[in-house]
Amino acid sequence: MRRRVALTAMITATAALALAGCGQESTDDPAPGQAGGKPTVCLVMKSLANEYFQQMQDGAVKHVQERNDLTLESTGTQNETDVDGQVALVESCITKLARAIVIAPADSKALVQVVAKAVKADIKVVNIDVKLDDGALQQAGVDVPFVGPDNRDGARQSGKVLADLLGRGGKVVILEGNPGADNATQRKNGFNDAVAEGGLTLLDSKTAHWETDEANQVFASMLTAHPDIQGVLASNDSMALGAIKVIQERRANVKVASFDNIPAVKEHVQSGVMVATLDQYGSKQAADGIDYAMKMIAGETVTGWQKTEIKLITKDNIGS
Amino acid sequence: MTAVTAPRVAGGRWASQVLGEAGIGVALAALVAFFLAFAPYFGTSQNVRDIMTQITINTILAVGMTFVILVGGIDLSVGSVIALCAVVAGTAMTDSGLPTALAVPFAILISVLIGAATGFVNGFVTERWVVPSFIVTLGMLYVARGAAQQYTGAATIYNLPPGLTRFGTATFAGLPAVFVVAMLLVAVAWFVLSRTVFGRLIYATGNNEEAVRLSGHRTSLIKVACFVIGGACVGIAAIIYMARLGVASPILGQGYELNAIAAVVIGGASLAGGRGSVIGTLLGACLLGVLSNGLNLMGVSDFQRTMVTGAVIIVAVVLDAYRRRLSVRLS
Repeated sequence: MRRRVALTAMITATAALALAGCGQESTDDPAPGQAGGKPTVCLVMKSLANEYFQQMQDGAVKHVQERNDLTLESTGTQNETDVDGQVALVESCITKLARAIVIAPADSKALVQVVAKAVKADIKVVNIDVKLDDGALQQAGVDVPFVGPDNRDGARQSGKVLADLLGRGGKVVILEGNPGADNATQRKNGFNDAVAEGGLTLLDSKTAHWETDEANQVFASMLTAHPDIQGVLASNDSMALGAIKVIQERRANVKVASFDNIPAVKEHVQSGVMVATLDQYGSKQAADGIDYAMKMIAGETVTGWQKTEIKLITKDNIGS
Repeated sequence: MTAVTAPRVAGGRWASQVLGEAGIGVALAALVAFFLAFAPYFGTSQNVRDIMTQITINTILAVGMTFVILVGGIDLSVGSVIALCAVVAGTAMTDSGLPTALAVPFAILISVLIGAATGFVNGFVTERWVVPSFIVTLGMLYVARGAAQQYTGAATIYNLPPGLTRFGTATFAGLPAVFVVAMLLVAVAWFVLSRTVFGRLIYATGNNEEAVRLSGHRTSLIKVACFVIGGACVGIAAIIYMARLGVASPILGQGYELNAIAAVVIGGASLAGGRGSVIGTLLGACLLGVLSNGLNLMGVSDFQRTMVTGAVIIVAVVLDAYRRRLSVRLS
């Protein structure tokens, strides 16, 4: 009997300790969604285990400190695939009566239903990163503004540098992102635009799921099958790094055009193997989304696609 | 929620199960009290309904998993099979051209059949070649995921019948309709496990397979049946997923098998088989759901939430070990 009590005490104490150890943000809101007279904005992120999204979140937190006219509740899921978990996070934001939600959706269709629920609860919603599906939004009867970069135009610009360098008839391959992901499709379309405009010959186009090690394997077999490849159009820098490893190992004369401008590619842009990459200022995107959300709270109507800044990075402007 | 029900088979085990479920019930109550005090909006009726909706899928999967674990098996393929069921059933609804009233029952049938069929393969291979179900279902995890991707070409299916998605947000007597489905399933599973001969054979097989075989029962049939039941539950969960989210994607469900196993284990089941109950499983799923929801509302980051969830699972199995020693002394 004593042991039973001890066990119960143990589980209770553990749960309480574990919880008490967690950082707790402001819970003493004087009015719902209006902490200290400032409106509460929920930032719902995804893939926080990925440095890119972590930086986006950090950028937003810093930006909100500078603005100092809203309370930010920042949450997110660890994986891009945790759709269910992200829906639960949005539901929590609705429950907390946030004035606005800024969301980087884990899935462009699956989040539409809960976003519509938020809109109908009179919460302003701003979509960042990946655009929510137009058809699904229409079906749900809501209109949500999208704040984000033009991935297709960015990929076209990056691919054009490679096309200009190789000239007409240059032989290239594309490394695609996750099949079905909107930004992967947009970037692939942009590369295809550059291939068509520059008169390049496309030998192969395959996915490496955004990942370095997979790109390394995929590109190695591409180069074995087509030893005459002259250029790679990589849909992100992580995959470009995998391809560059193969190029260096085999001392092949292959140039790479890429996307993202992560710090790790700087040396390759300087050395000339990567002729272009594209900065879409990812760390600013959530902050931009919050700015639009605040405009909407102030009564402004924001609709459609609000394009954010992108910048082509080459050897000339990357610095040393 | 803290009702304690267990099959009255042997005195010692009965006592240990009461102890186990009371333990998890107390832990759940403590957690609820904590969040009521510290998590804003936790106790609102809207949030309670949110929690119910959020635990529905895991509860259904965990009920199926309880059957598998009771006979000493494990099913790691759940997260992939739910994706396969969803994309095939989803396509059946969007492409068959049937009216909603026919398309939805047709999709439910397909989904449950696919789930049951994968369960059958899992169970059959495990029993026929006497290999660990851990490995067989791990293989099925890959097969089903690949099949789901192959079937859809990695595309997400949407435009599901509005009737289905309305069901996903509908309420029934103030409760989310999908949660009511899960509760019905819990009730049926409880009845089967505690009030039927088949249920007793399941416990007996998990406890002492040899004795059940010697008394003239085909234990492999019982075990395969448990895998089939587990699979059928996955098929039901796939329909609930589509009703709730309005989409079916071949990448959905990653990690669901582990959530389901966690709910079963927190609910007091033994991975060695023979011990556990569907009420415990329900409480386990509630505990995980309340934990995740409450931490969300408190603004705790996902990383910390993951750590706390892991810690709770570890505490649960440590308690389980204590309880087992106690039950040995009691019997």
